[in-house]
Amino acid sequence: MPPRPPRPRPVDPPTEVIPRIEDDYDDEYYDDDEYYDDEPNKAAPPPDSMARKAVRGFGEALITMGLVVLLFVVYEVYVTDLLSAEKQEDATAALDSEWSSNVVTPPPADPNRQSKLNLIEGKAFAKMYIPVFGNDWKFSVVEGTTDKHLEIGPGHYKDTAEPGEAGNFAIAGHRVGKGAPFNDLDLLESCNAVVVQTQTQWFVYRVLPMSSEVAGWASNPKSKQPSCAGVAPLSTTFGDAYAKTVGQEIVVPTQGEVIAPIPHQVGATVPADKQARLLTLTTCHPRFSDKQRLIVHAIETKSYPVANGFVPPEMTEG
Amino acid sequence: MYGWIWRHLPGPLYLRIAEAVVLVVGIVALLMFVVFPWAEPKLPFNNVTTQ
Repeated sequence: MPPRPPRPRPVDPPTEVIPRIEDDYDDEYYDDDEYYDDEPNKAAPPPDSMARKAVRGFGEALITMGLVVLLFVVYEVYVTDLLSAEKQEDATAALDSEWSSNVVTPPPADPNRQSKLNLIEGKAFAKMYIPVFGNDWKFSVVEGTTDKHLEIGPGHYKDTAEPGEAGNFAIAGHRVGKGAPFNDLDLLESCNAVVVQTQTQWFVYRVLPMSSEVAGWASNPKSKQPSCAGVAPLSTTFGDAYAKTVGQEIVVPTQGEVIAPIPHQVGATVPADKQARLLTLTTCHPRFSDKQRLIVHAIETKSYPVANGFVPPEMTEG
Repeated sequence: MYGWIWRHLPGPLYLRIAEAVVLVVGIVALLMFVVFPWAEPKLPFNNVTTQ
């Protein structure tokens, strides 16, 4: 093939000279250092009217308050968790060192004679596990239920029974923030285990039948499960005084009778050996509110002495 | 308000940005560690005990 002839290049049009346009744009305007200064009269837009300023100020104040409220939620739900985790860790470390350092005599063989715990306000004295909440759910329980105590972890109501004692071992815990130990308390079902460990003993408590289960408990297939051994409506095993004590209840904050030795029976005088060994957990309800209290009652079904390397079989439930 | 603060921060732009960040962090810290811990017990949503 013969080479193609080169294409003819288009002829450039003659250069047009565009005359410079003179405008009133002032280059020096932006070079002026004083432009950024605070003299109000030199700012480019005319000064805002008072009404405009007031409306803007009001809007900014509203935005600021909204941000503060949002920050408070962050504080309540996350920051308090961090602060409490540290305190809980310290309390657990103190408890561990106490348990490993002082040697105690094993608990007396007679189950009615408990070795009294040395309860000091603000100090942890027991560990608590709820296997259905997972292996990592463990808290050291401190003595006392003031705000300061509950920042550390679940708190034992002063003057209520000790773990394993006849009566009512009552514990309060936060549901939101501060480690939120009792966040999922509403999910506990009847027969779920709550394990409490002291220096010398393990106690296995199990959630009592719910109020809807009390009536048909004997015929309920659930009651035949091995985890429900020892769990029955208290009214059938301990008498009518316990008729109101069920697995879960929601009460108003003034109903302190739920942590009485016999719940709801404040004045009752029942000898200790006729009393059930109960565990009661209290937290706020509904979540983020303090209108009511969520209460969970459980009964002791088993106890084991603490031994090296021994972990109760209930701990792997869940 | 924010505009007023910005206009009164001294120094060139990058310095003003740094100052603004310091101000914001300071106020958040003040809220988190002083104001909120003080206000929280007075607010009605985290009481867990019965009386």
